[in-house]
Amino acid sequence: MNLRTLKAPAVAAAVLLLAVAAAGCTDTTVYPTSTISSSTLFSDPRSYQEFLGKIYASLALTGQQAGAGNADITCNDEGACNYIRLWWEFQELPTDEAIIAWNDGSLSQLNTQLLTSDNGFLYGMYYRIYFLVGMANEFLRQTTDGAVASRGASAALKAQVQQYRAEARFLRALAYWHALDIFGGWVPLVTENDPLGSTPPKQSDPVTVYNYIVSELTAIQGQLPAPSAATYGRATTMAANMLLAHVYMNDSVYTSGTNWTGALNAAQAVISSGVYSLDPSYRHLFQADNNTSPEMIFAIPQDGLKTQEYGGTDFLICASSGGSFSGTSGLGCSWWGIRLKPQADSFYITTADHPAGDTRNSYFVTEAGGQSLGITDWTAFTQGYGVPKYVNITSTGANGSSTQFADTDFPMFRLGDAFLIYAEACVRSGASGCAANALTYVDSLRVRAYGNATGNITAPQLTLPFLLTERGRELLWEGHRRTDLLRYNLFTGSTRLWSYKNNVPAGAATASTYNIFPLPRTELQVNPNLKQHGYN
Amino acid sequence: MSMRRVRYLIGAFLAVLWVAPLRAQVPTGTIRGVVTDEATKEPLASVTINVGSHRTVTHADGRYALTGVPEGTDTLRARMLGYAPATQPVTVVAGQIVVVDLTMTAQAVGLSEIVVVGYGQQTAGDISGAVKQLSFEDFNPGQITTPTMLIENKIAGVQVVDNNTPGGSVSIRIRGTTSINASSDPLYVVDGMPVGPGSGGGLSAGADPLNFLNPNDIESITVLKDASSAAIYGANSANGVVIITTKSKGAGGQGARIDYSGTVSSSSVTRLPSVLSAFTYDSIVRKDASAQQIGQLGKANTNWFNQIDHTAFTQEHNLAVTGAGETSSYRISAGYLDQQGVILKSETQRLSLGVNFEQRLFSDNLDIKVNARGSRTYDSYVPGNVLGDAANMGPTQPVLDPTALTGYYNYPGYNIQSPPNPVELLNLATSDGTEYRSIGNVQAEYRLPFFQALKAHVNVGYDVARATQGSFTPSTVAQEIQSSELGYENRLDNTQVNTVLEGYLNYAAPLNVVPGSIDVTGGYSYSESQAQYGTITLKGLSTNFLGESGTPTATTVTNLLDTEKSLLISFFGRLNYNLADRYLAAFAVRRDGSSRFGPANAWAVFPSASFAWRISQEPFLKSFTPLSDLKLRASYGKTGNQPLQNYVQYATYTPGDAGSQVQFGNTFTTTVRPGAYNPNIKWEATNSYDLGLDYGFLNQRFSGAVDWYIKNTTDMIFTVPIAAGTNLSNQLTTNIGSMRNSGIEFSLSAKILEGRGQGLSGLSWTADFTASRNTNTLLSINPYAGSATQIPVGSISGGTGNYAEILTPGQPINSFWVCRQYFQYDSTLKRSMPVEGKWYSVVQNKKGDSTFTGTCDTRGLRADHDPAPKWILGHTSYLTYGNFDLSFSLRAWTGNYVYNNVAAGGFLQQLTLRYSAYNVSTSYLKTHFQGAQYFSDVYVEDASFLRMDNITLGYSFKYRGQPMRAYVAVQNVFTITGYSGVDPTTNLNGIDNNIYPRARTVTGGLSVRF
Repeated sequence: MNLRTLKAPAVAAAVLLLAVAAAGCTDTTVYPTSTISSSTLFSDPRSYQEFLGKIYASLALTGQQAGAGNADITCNDEGACNYIRLWWEFQELPTDEAIIAWNDGSLSQLNTQLLTSDNGFLYGMYYRIYFLVGMANEFLRQTTDGAVASRGASAALKAQVQQYRAEARFLRALAYWHALDIFGGWVPLVTENDPLGSTPPKQSDPVTVYNYIVSELTAIQGQLPAPSAATYGRATTMAANMLLAHVYMNDSVYTSGTNWTGALNAAQAVISSGVYSLDPSYRHLFQADNNTSPEMIFAIPQDGLKTQEYGGTDFLICASSGGSFSGTSGLGCSWWGIRLKPQADSFYITTADHPAGDTRNSYFVTEAGGQSLGITDWTAFTQGYGVPKYVNITSTGANGSSTQFADTDFPMFRLGDAFLIYAEACVRSGASGCAANALTYVDSLRVRAYGNATGNITAPQLTLPFLLTERGRELLWEGHRRTDLLRYNLFTGSTRLWSYKNNVPAGAATASTYNIFPLPRTELQVNPNLKQHGYN
Repeated sequence: MSMRRVRYLIGAFLAVLWVAPLRAQVPTGTIRGVVTDEATKEPLASVTINVGSHRTVTHADGRYALTGVPEGTDTLRARMLGYAPATQPVTVVAGQIVVVDLTMTAQAVGLSEIVVVGYGQQTAGDISGAVKQLSFEDFNPGQITTPTMLIENKIAGVQVVDNNTPGGSVSIRIRGTTSINASSDPLYVVDGMPVGPGSGGGLSAGADPLNFLNPNDIESITVLKDASSAAIYGANSANGVVIITTKSKGAGGQGARIDYSGTVSSSSVTRLPSVLSAFTYDSIVRKDASAQQIGQLGKANTNWFNQIDHTAFTQEHNLAVTGAGETSSYRISAGYLDQQGVILKSETQRLSLGVNFEQRLFSDNLDIKVNARGSRTYDSYVPGNVLGDAANMGPTQPVLDPTALTGYYNYPGYNIQSPPNPVELLNLATSDGTEYRSIGNVQAEYRLPFFQALKAHVNVGYDVARATQGSFTPSTVAQEIQSSELGYENRLDNTQVNTVLEGYLNYAAPLNVVPGSIDVTGGYSYSESQAQYGTITLKGLSTNFLGESGTPTATTVTNLLDTEKSLLISFFGRLNYNLADRYLAAFAVRRDGSSRFGPANAWAVFPSASFAWRISQEPFLKSFTPLSDLKLRASYGKTGNQPLQNYVQYATYTPGDAGSQVQFGNTFTTTVRPGAYNPNIKWEATNSYDLGLDYGFLNQRFSGAVDWYIKNTTDMIFTVPIAAGTNLSNQLTTNIGSMRNSGIEFSLSAKILEGRGQGLSGLSWTADFTASRNTNTLLSINPYAGSATQIPVGSISGGTGNYAEILTPGQPINSFWVCRQYFQYDSTLKRSMPVEGKWYSVVQNKKGDSTFTGTCDTRGLRADHDPAPKWILGHTSYLTYGNFDLSFSLRAWTGNYVYNNVAAGGFLQQLTLRYSAYNVSTSYLKTHFQGAQYFSDVYVEDASFLRMDNITLGYSFKYRGQPMRAYVAVQNVFTITGYSGVDPTTNLNGIDNNIYPRARTVTGGLSVRF
């Protein structure tokens, strides 16, 4: 064989070989390597805790990166779509307690109650609720007895997962309560039994959602952990009682039913558990080390180093900071945003049942600090008293662990709230045998506020109007006001007016339509099963 | 088989590849001669001469010699671009020399030109799709840093938008935007190596993906506009294909040749944002602001923009060595570019090397081409928000403050509501990056000796990039103190390796059974991309001494590493049929498989067909000599687009980082988050139709094309809101929606004066005109609801999370979403003034009268104009007279709108309600707005413009027989526009928020040959 005869076939063969070898490769499968796949996740027993942790994190954080980044949901601004921040804004801005100076998108609508369905913050709140619900549902789908057993879990782990599942259900019930409260329950009731995909779910109704929350909270009572040092920030039997108490308290708002006794019993269970006691220092409840407060029943923990985000207490601290008291909160930020509406200051004026000496407003920044009481321009931060209630400074005066992100936990449920619920449920239900306790509980809060017994009230003074005002004083800026006003039927209408209600500086009546807020327009567009209630 | 035989075979195989082929033992003779131009009688270099399979090219003096030609009678053929092929019969006698001199006639350029198309070449006249090729003679002159700028304004239907920064990104849209979430960038193919969206360039933020390529090394750029031409590239070709061919050899000449070209440029800012002067600012603050803000007023008169811009200098040097032997040719090039930006600190430096080598073996049957190029690009960026800070900083404040820690003035108190000193940040912070990139391939084309009509082609290529980037802001500057971040450092280290293996066979021959000839290509392509993105972010730096060079102890450190891989596997085929040079048809099909889809949807087929009728070749028209070309074209094609992200189809869990843990009792736990996923994601498809007419008169003295097209994109890959509760996030990347682009394109190239005479009649003038109109309509977004879904886009500055644009069916994408401002005559000012907070309502009463709303919400918001130009007009003139040449080009867009975000910040509360008074746009003087009116349509401005992109005067001469040229070019000569902002060609999304200003550049250039 000579070279000449060899060359052509050799070259042809080489080319052909290359082509055939390559053409044989038609497998396009590539699996991700920088994220965890569903098949490998549960091979690590810690993953159950980490997954459950994400459901908790959906209240405190906005994404998987420190500060911001890798966001959970697509929203106008990641930090502005923090669950607690939105919940707080919905509970406080439309009421007589707080006003915000920013004209971000449609945020200023919240100052006035006049929300339209295209309000971006409405959208944020709605999707934050359903992000949590989605996480909880997926957790429950992935942790059925069968699924856990099939992964060869130990008996201890199985028991642990049972408890975790109850916690997930608590968090989901909490989110549905918010949906019931803000959107009137005209929302889809999606559970772990609904398939994951893109089929739009059906609309539910207030009664169904209400009953679901109650039945879930009742069902998990036996499975939730009892409160202990190992349950700080977690759902416990007592947190479930507090949630149940709140749901029962507003039964009249949600379903036109009444269940004052239920609320009374739930609050009683919390109080008589003996686990909690009033914090001797009222201010400590809102400071960087408030995790050590004996009063916390359910807190949303924040941490300057480990739990960093721009919503939550970071928002409450930064947005409350500005004017002459810029940068005095232990955080470097001053966002010149939220102040007190003038009507909230009237909670503290001296009356027969509220003598002088209450120190619960001692931190207000008033005229002396360059702030005015009245507000004629909502965008001017110096109008309205400054309310640096939450600070990133510890009870010993030290700074939190960071000057950028707060250590201060958000007190969602605390004993003081349980005392006031007990008192109000007692008055409303007319139940026998609770009045004396009710007076004791309220007075214990007053003693703390006055530093002595001068603020104590008498039994006839323990009236419903007194209790609403007392809730305003004790729980100011803690995210309860809107729900409270609804229960007293004072949120909309003309009975009680405050600055910028109905977008009038002096305040004007609003239609009862605004007792619930509209479903977000974007949601009506993607889910044709939904109908707007009361709004066009 | 014994080892000996194996060794023998391997040895033989290598010998076959590298040893010069043995000559056949048949009697041979030699042919030699000279080739000259028929008209000028000048010798012609680099004419290809062949007899049978023997081929050579003429030298610089027009001479050629063919040795070893077998005895007998054959035909000698001479071919060269721009000339009609010449043939002459020749009889070779063994051992003798035959002299054959030839003359060639210059032919209308264009029709015989070789155009690079997908996986092959075609003569221009035979092309049945909408394809435009530009060679280096046609490229834009002046300071050009990235290849796509070479064709800016040159091709109808191609919109080029550059972001003004040195080495910055240039976006191309061919026939409109076809996608929203998948890419709308065309596919670039450099010497057969696909450089897909996201490759390389994605590694170096803000830089152009083709930045590594020295524009001086480019021979030609071909744009495949219609789907029938692009469909052979299937995936990623939905937005058209840009094929870049680099220079591979010099024309003719056995020896080496050296070319040098260099430029020196000077650039200065043309327009800056118009903000209040120190005097006006001072008087407004004194009148309307609080005592605190008045107290902060300084006594200086500082124009902050003057502090941050400068006259920028650029130099560029290119050296190329080319040579060609009988069977091989090479080109080695080196380039150096140092371009300063008109804003201080912005700069790009590029060192590039390129090698092109071609070797023909086995009687020219095997053709091996090796292309390899590498570059090092260093970019320095303007740190932080210096441009925005310069607009906001009070003009009465001084630059320096000797008492300050950094020596620069800042407002007292370091409040977050005080603008930081831009000069401090500019001088003390850094942001820069270095990218190393190499791209290369080996292409082998083998023509079967016993079956010359069949060619086998193998292409093995790589694209390797590594980019590191760092930014550092010391803890002492105002911005860091204000945000209490106290020092920031960010470092990126990204690598990407793309490899391609392609093989295809080509068969081209006349058909014996039916009339006409066919050209069939079929092949396989395998491309793989692997990338690794590493990030480290430090906040709260313990020291500023290390700058970007180290990682000091910090309050928070975030580390991220992301590894990605993707595959694209394709089979493709094409059939071209040519009947009597009159009836042309082409059919192509490509089957693509991508790793970005689940197994059920991984593969898709993209077919195309095109037909052309060369009417001018018909016998009945052949005698009509004024008509040199008339071709009617019709084509259909389907092209595809994949999601930009990998792994959309997989359920995955994302772990949280150290700073996003939650407290879980007495410990903290990291979290894992299940992500929304879509196992059903499938290919986005664009079905395109094109109807075109190519025309030419008077031997192509006037030529051009008219095209009409329609492109329907369906199964658009789109991240849309989904019903709450159905998946694990509120948005899902899925196939929803459709969009249409339709338009018309005109082009005309006219040799108005041909310069054939003496004196003034020696003037030649070629003028090119292009005009194109594209209409984009978003047809649908959401399948669930019958009603329209609106998705806000176009993030603007001001407030939190505000958007000024909308995606809504029935409107062009990115339509502005604003309220119509109500105006009222102001008798004091004697002009019409906008009434703050009063808008025309979308709803009208029964009489049809306008109603008004006090809140800019759904009652007033409407889709109003969009950023895409309606018409894009281009003109280039090229004049020569004697040794002088002059060229200029003009560009106009009409109907493009821009949201002037700088103007939208011009309201009184910026001066009165901040801790320190911000300076604002002079728009305040026109509107007198007290509060923010971000959604007023007064900020949506008509940004139509006419611009002279460049004008160049050149002088060419010969020195020692070698051509030389010197020229002066001015770029961005003037812009006529009604737009009040910095630049009407802002960017593709039409939001002008302190964009980098455009520069006017004067360049002097010289090119010499040795």
